[in-house]
Amino acid sequence: MNLAEHLKRSAVLGIGISVLLTLVLSTWMFHAEESDLRLQHKQRLALLHTNGLALAVANISVEETGKRVRDIQKLDPRIESAIIVVGMQLVASTRDEDAAPRQLKREEKPLFDLSNLIRTAGETNRGEEVVRKKTIQIDEKPSGHIVVTVPYLSDGQFAGILQMKFNTEAAEMFSPLPDSYSLPLLFLLAALLAGSLLRMNTDRKVDVAKLLALGVFLAIALSYQQQRLNRIEQMMAQANQSIAANYLATAEQYDRLGYLALPRDSSAVNLWDTDHYQRPLGLIAASGNVSAKAQAAYFDKRGGFLKRILASFDLLGLGVLLMFIYGYAARTFSALKEHADAYTYVAPAMIGMLVLVFFPFLYGITLSFTDTTLFNESLPFQDRLIGWDNFKAILGDFNLYERTANGIIWNYQNFYWTLLVTVIWTVSNVTIGVTVGFFLAMALNTEGLRGKAIYRVLLILPWAIPNYITALVWRGMFHPQFGVINQVLQMFGMQPVAWFDGVFSSFMTGLATNGWLSFPFMMVVILGALQSIPKEMYEAAEVEGADRWQRLRYITLPLLKPTLIPAIVLSVVWTFNMFNIIFLVSGGEPGGANEILITKAYKIAFENYQYAYAAAYSTVIFMILLVYGTFQTRVTKATESF
Amino acid sequence: MADIKTKNHVWLHVALISFTVLAIYPVLWVLALSFSGQQSVGLIDLPKDPSFLERFRGILPMPAHWSIKNFTEVWTDQDFGRWMWNSVVVSLMTTALGVFLACTAAYAFSRFRFPGRNTGMLMFLISQMFPGTLMLIPLFIIIVKWLELGNTYVGLVIVYATTAIPFCVWMLKGYFDTIPYDIEESALIDGASRLTIFWRIILPLAKPAIAITALFSFMTAWNEFILASIFMESELNYTAPVGLRFFVGGFSSQWGYFAAGSVIVSLPVVALFLQLQKYLISGLTAGSVK
Repeated sequence: MNLAEHLKRSAVLGIGISVLLTLVLSTWMFHAEESDLRLQHKQRLALLHTNGLALAVANISVEETGKRVRDIQKLDPRIESAIIVVGMQLVASTRDEDAAPRQLKREEKPLFDLSNLIRTAGETNRGEEVVRKKTIQIDEKPSGHIVVTVPYLSDGQFAGILQMKFNTEAAEMFSPLPDSYSLPLLFLLAALLAGSLLRMNTDRKVDVAKLLALGVFLAIALSYQQQRLNRIEQMMAQANQSIAANYLATAEQYDRLGYLALPRDSSAVNLWDTDHYQRPLGLIAASGNVSAKAQAAYFDKRGGFLKRILASFDLLGLGVLLMFIYGYAARTFSALKEHADAYTYVAPAMIGMLVLVFFPFLYGITLSFTDTTLFNESLPFQDRLIGWDNFKAILGDFNLYERTANGIIWNYQNFYWTLLVTVIWTVSNVTIGVTVGFFLAMALNTEGLRGKAIYRVLLILPWAIPNYITALVWRGMFHPQFGVINQVLQMFGMQPVAWFDGVFSSFMTGLATNGWLSFPFMMVVILGALQSIPKEMYEAAEVEGADRWQRLRYITLPLLKPTLIPAIVLSVVWTFNMFNIIFLVSGGEPGGANEILITKAYKIAFENYQYAYAAAYSTVIFMILLVYGTFQTRVTKATESF
Repeated sequence: MADIKTKNHVWLHVALISFTVLAIYPVLWVLALSFSGQQSVGLIDLPKDPSFLERFRGILPMPAHWSIKNFTEVWTDQDFGRWMWNSVVVSLMTTALGVFLACTAAYAFSRFRFPGRNTGMLMFLISQMFPGTLMLIPLFIIIVKWLELGNTYVGLVIVYATTAIPFCVWMLKGYFDTIPYDIEESALIDGASRLTIFWRIILPLAKPAIAITALFSFMTAWNEFILASIFMESELNYTAPVGLRFFVGGFSSQWGYFAAGSVIVSLPVVALFLQLQKYLISGLTAGSVK
């Protein structure tokens, strides 16, 4: 038995590659998760100490505050420094050279700005009754220090900020488990061993060896993932214990010094251990006990997302394995080898398209299922996921108009209004383009017409000029005060029109502009088709006694059709997404009434910064075009077959 | 037929001339504005209660005073020269890359039968329907945040070249299909490699279509302003379209600079376009009808 035949029957390659793929992906995921946990722990520890200090110095006199801050810093070597800023005053500082209290210096202005930022964040949250803005700022310095800034309260009111520089190098981290690669390697070896032992029967669809291969893959992948998941859970528990120990030790010192009483009541909320919005995490009780229930719930939430991703890796690996088992991989490989030439030629363009067209497209689609805006971009993906809500909001909003005493008021922000405008826009533009193009092509195709070449060059000119320039030029010509078009109206004694103030007149500005720049395309296409119609056909028809109309109806139009239909499809798609004209000429005025779908999506993304909503909007646009394209090709095919 | 000929098509000429005047009026208007030496959107200052003739003079595309001040100032006082340079570099690089990518892919689609060929072609077609707004944010993230190619030529070039691929490939493939396979077959028998055939036979024969592809890639880069305005943050890195919009967008209204800049920007593309227009019909129809 030769090697190729051997490999075909052995499961070693399939299991090896699928397990390797799944292990690499999972390890990468776990690695990211663990470093995230470590970072979080570091920040949580720093925040814990800062919160504690803030509680210990809240609502007391300025002198006492200064003293306590210095005392507490001496207790804990990890606290590098701590300062308190109220307004333009540096109230307290642990550094002697600061000579607090004093006025802030000019170069310390950022502290004043930060204080204002945190105050307004708190006010915004209270005003909106939601927690949107962070009231705690955590910065990581390259030196390994963490700088935490929290609000400083006086008389129960926001007074200023407390900023602590915390040294995490000296901080005893919860002992990190060794991040070795021996574990995945071990699992991989096991997989290879099992794979090399299995012999598959290539003639049968299902045999024991195939089932065993699948079983081996699943067993290895799942047990490895479970191992690592356990480790994550262990790390979380360790983190909580470490935080609890830190908390207890410090809180007891505060208690002894009489700064802050340590609550013995185990149901009291621990205000030291909070998130970035000053909300207690609830993982550790005020008495210092770790809440097992909260910890389990936290792990479920975090691990739940992880598990879903891991499951998708498993499915991927399973798919790869099935490809190998059933010989698709071998066939793909031989196809690659056989058509190596073709794939080499296609590869550069394909790779470019995959990275810069298809990947962004899929990314955009994914984005449309979240509630990403400019403000929550940095949140983890799972927190932004909202499912179909964006699409429901877009397609399910039928609040198209309002009935008032003065008649109907249209809601220009509604999706269906914009869709209607877009459809009218597309249909009228394509109609104008085809009609004008057709008549001009017929005229230019007249036999014996002089100066054909000059007409053609001049009439093609609007197509040659960059369309954004055309748009801006027409915007200038429609200028309500100095624009040429109003000058012409006034020349004939008419009143000037405020073009961009009326829904209809504003629509006409876009239509005029786009009509002007789109007829040459149709003209050129139709002219080309007309010229390819043999003259003999007309001559024969003339001999038969057909009049002009009949020649047009039975010769010209049918022979134009194969050229005209693709041109129309193309121009429908172009016009539907004709961003530049609407955006630059009328800008959708008045009040967004003349927005088409694509400009609306742009404005949602870059003026309202609702990235996800804009992505969903764009996805809807794509679906509409896709349906149109499919429908159109069906119709075209059906008519062609006649 | 004979009686129409004797009429010398007078009415047809009247209709065509009036339509042509309408069609080129905006062009003349920009030209007049660019040579007017002033920034206002009106060509001349009208008196308080203008007569019919005065108004008529106002709409004639003739500046009150001829001057090349707008051209010299846009070049010296503004960053326009720099913007033009940026546009030239980006567009030429896009053309080179775009033509290379499109030619190789189109050749494969036209000459080889391989698994995934139809899927690939269909994917190219569907990608034409992707709305630009859906791609903007992901592209920004990929180019600026991940690849850190913001404010560089390369970032814009690779995006422009890839967005131009599908259209170019479809057009070129249609044209390649019309080149008889016999030529290649005999070359193959003579021992020529695929690469030689592609380079020595196919490419020279496909010159018209390649010219159109080049024009299209060039225009894609030359005329684009949204991606450019998002990728290029610093004013020095603007491309010409972004810069032109800067003159008359928002609250600024330097129409004279805009007009002069527009003339400069349009000249090369109009010249190229008119040069290549004889290929336009054959290139377009070969691609779309087939």
